Amino acid sequence: MMIRAKVVFCSVALMLMWTVAAQAGTLYLSVAASMTDVFQEIIALFSETYPDTKVLPNFASSGSLAKQIAQGAPADFYVSANTKWMQYLLENDVIIDSTCRVFAFNSLVFVGDPDTDISELTGITSLQKIGIGTPQSVPVGQYARQALEAAGVYQSLVDTRKLVFAKDTRQALLYADRGAVDGSFVYKTDALLARHAKVLFTVPTALYDRVSYPLALTVGGGAKDEATAFYEFMAADTVQAILVKHGFEPAD
Amino acid sequence: MLAVNDFSAIRLSLQVAACATIISLPFGYAVAYLLVFGRMRGKVLLEGVVNLPLVLPPVVIGYLLLLLFGKHSPLGSLLVRYGIEVIFTLKAAVIASTVVGFPLLVRSVRIGMENVDRRYMQASRTLGAGWWDTLFSVTIPLTYKATLAGMTLMFARSLGEFGATIILAGNIPGVTQTIPLAIYQYTSVPGGDAMALSLCLVSIGLSFGVLMISEAVNRSIPRR
Amino acid sequence: MLLEVDVEKRYSGFHTRAEFSLSSERCGVFGPSGSGKSTLMHLLAGLTDPDRGHIRLNDKTLFDSSRNINLPPQKRRIGVVFQHAHLFPHMNVRKNLSYGLKRRSSGANDIDPQQLIEVLQLTNMLERRVSKLSGGERQRVALGRTILASPDLILMDEPLTGLDAELKYKIIPHLQRVFSEFSIPVLFISHDLQEMRVMTDNVLVMQDGTIKRHLSTEALARSGSVSGRRYMNLLTLESPTDLGDLMRYRWGEVELMLVKTHDTGSGQFCLNASDILLFKQHPQAASARNMLSCTIRSTYQTDWLVGVELDCRGNTLIAEIVPQSIEELDIRPGNEIIAVIKASAFKRMY
Repeated sequence: MMIRAKVVFCSVALMLMWTVAAQAGTLYLSVAASMTDVFQEIIALFSETYPDTKVLPNFASSGSLAKQIAQGAPADFYVSANTKWMQYLLENDVIIDSTCRVFAFNSLVFVGDPDTDISELTGITSLQKIGIGTPQSVPVGQYARQALEAAGVYQSLVDTRKLVFAKDTRQALLYADRGAVDGSFVYKTDALLARHAKVLFTVPTALYDRVSYPLALTVGGGAKDEATAFYEFMAADTVQAILVKHGFEPAD
Repeated sequence: MLAVNDFSAIRLSLQVAACATIISLPFGYAVAYLLVFGRMRGKVLLEGVVNLPLVLPPVVIGYLLLLLFGKHSPLGSLLVRYGIEVIFTLKAAVIASTVVGFPLLVRSVRIGMENVDRRYMQASRTLGAGWWDTLFSVTIPLTYKATLAGMTLMFARSLGEFGATIILAGNIPGVTQTIPLAIYQYTSVPGGDAMALSLCLVSIGLSFGVLMISEAVNRSIPRR
Repeated sequence: MLLEVDVEKRYSGFHTRAEFSLSSERCGVFGPSGSGKSTLMHLLAGLTDPDRGHIRLNDKTLFDSSRNINLPPQKRRIGVVFQHAHLFPHMNVRKNLSYGLKRRSSGANDIDPQQLIEVLQLTNMLERRVSKLSGGERQRVALGRTILASPDLILMDEPLTGLDAELKYKIIPHLQRVFSEFSIPVLFISHDLQEMRVMTDNVLVMQDGTIKRHLSTEALARSGSVSGRRYMNLLTLESPTDLGDLMRYRWGEVELMLVKTHDTGSGQFCLNASDILLFKQHPQAASARNMLSCTIRSTYQTDWLVGVELDCRGNTLIAEIVPQSIEELDIRPGNEIIAVIKASAFKRMY
């Protein structure tokens, strides 16, 4: 009886290890939502060179991704839309410090229905509903809030309850595109994807920190060949070209 | 423990739940009446439509409502013409809760009505009471408990409604951010767990409160 | 009162058809279950719509399919006493009683509530909850409730069915007193012939959804075709005298001996017509205790027996005997005959 139990136990353990080992050929990416299309192209390109690696990307707001990673989600590679969330993970010792670098920049615009009567930031208080990423966790919302506070209109918008929170930049864009809000703060790169909404004005860059995209390997990713391969791949010229194509400003 | 915003979320949750329940009451009662005492052909169809929100995922319900009330739909554009906005307003939150909770109310009331001997209503009619008179003096008093149970169920369901609400009403602090939406937002924020937990406790407390009140009212109705 | 009815109703395999005209204030609808009595009641009260026809009560048209008239129940002024009382469970006795009272449109024959409550002996239970009443009390309250709505006609739908015999016959005096004091026409629906005989003088016999006969209750009782039961003589016996193991009662002018039971008061008794033996001559000694001299009033044919109507010093007695005996005993109207009845043959109704 005891021998039988031991045999079963060993087989199960072996099977588990084998499945875990089978995952070794998988690469988990956690990428800020605004880089969705960019990274889908990068992944496609990467897979041409590394066809055996299975790449599983997770696109969401940088803040919620950071939270997931901090709580143990299996991410090998992290891209944030601001340095705040990267800093957060660094402080939590889940990021390999030396792999952290900013690789792209973006800027903030306000999109909405072309007929909307607004041409600059100060006119924002005349609108009824404004889409903005949830400031606590979505970088595009954090940048927008920063700009609105600098312009002295944020509190007024909060008090008059005009802010509609979106879970990431793509949702904010969708709200504006659908006409559910009068307009949304999104990245310049997202505005290019809108179908009906148009850029109504650009947010003056002086009012907010430069939109910087840091990338890094997680501690877990640093131990995986696939992850380091991908990390090195990100330095390629082809990647730079993809960034430019989608409207991002590559870092030198 | 709780931020100013959270009090707003609590107030909104109660507001939406109360509105949804009160609005649904006359319609839910009427539909239950039709299903139990009505003699029409389309009963099976009506029953199916009413029960649909029970089996559909709330997100699907939310999306369908979005299609129905969106600016580009016939109903939506009609409402816009009269200056009535639905999407991303408190109205939307109430609509979402109403649709999702309606079948629960109807179900409960229905069970109560099926337990009412039709002859009580017949007796009342032969004693000189018209249809409405019978409804208010006999039928409704005899279905108090079931109606109350249905309302409680619907209210509680509305306090927890998320999927349809976030799609139709959006996450607008102070306007549509009910407790579930606030908790969801907190769970996406690193460091927001304490706040999320606080709201969870409030939510549990509210649900208990609703149950207590319902029990108390239930007991105050004399047994027969 | 005058009730003119000609209606027809078809539903799920049943077909009910009724055409009659009633003018008696104490009418009955008699038939087994499934004969359509309840349907007729529903049609008259307005709780179900006939497929076609008309219903007129005292020249007021309640329903007429040809003229599109269909008064709702609350406008018909037809009261109903249901089989199981159906008192409103969420109201006490007082509120139940006043339910119809509050909703009646004042008319000529408004009932005085106080008087009715006294007659039905409900004074002590007005504040009680309905669930705390016994079966008999419920029926009295139900009756009171219906009457207080001052209807032009009351339909009683098997109100005594399901009550035990003792209770049944306790309520009947209340019913009779109420109906005589307040003079409201009654249509009494039942499948029990004795109830019918006590409550009505005219009866409609229903079977398979149609009215087969319309005759006096007495004639129905004598016809013998009622599920083979023999005629029951109903006797009111008074002035009981204890004679040891027998009781002596007065039946009008006649004295009768009955076996002593636990209940020795006066009351209503019944005597099966086939328990009466007829003798041409007085049997000087017999075990039977009652030997009555009677005059033959008439005879009538029932299914396979002959009913003999006897006059016993002013009281009527019916005996049923085989046809052969008619010849043998020379039973003809006007002749004298001796009716012999055992003391144990009498059964107390109430």
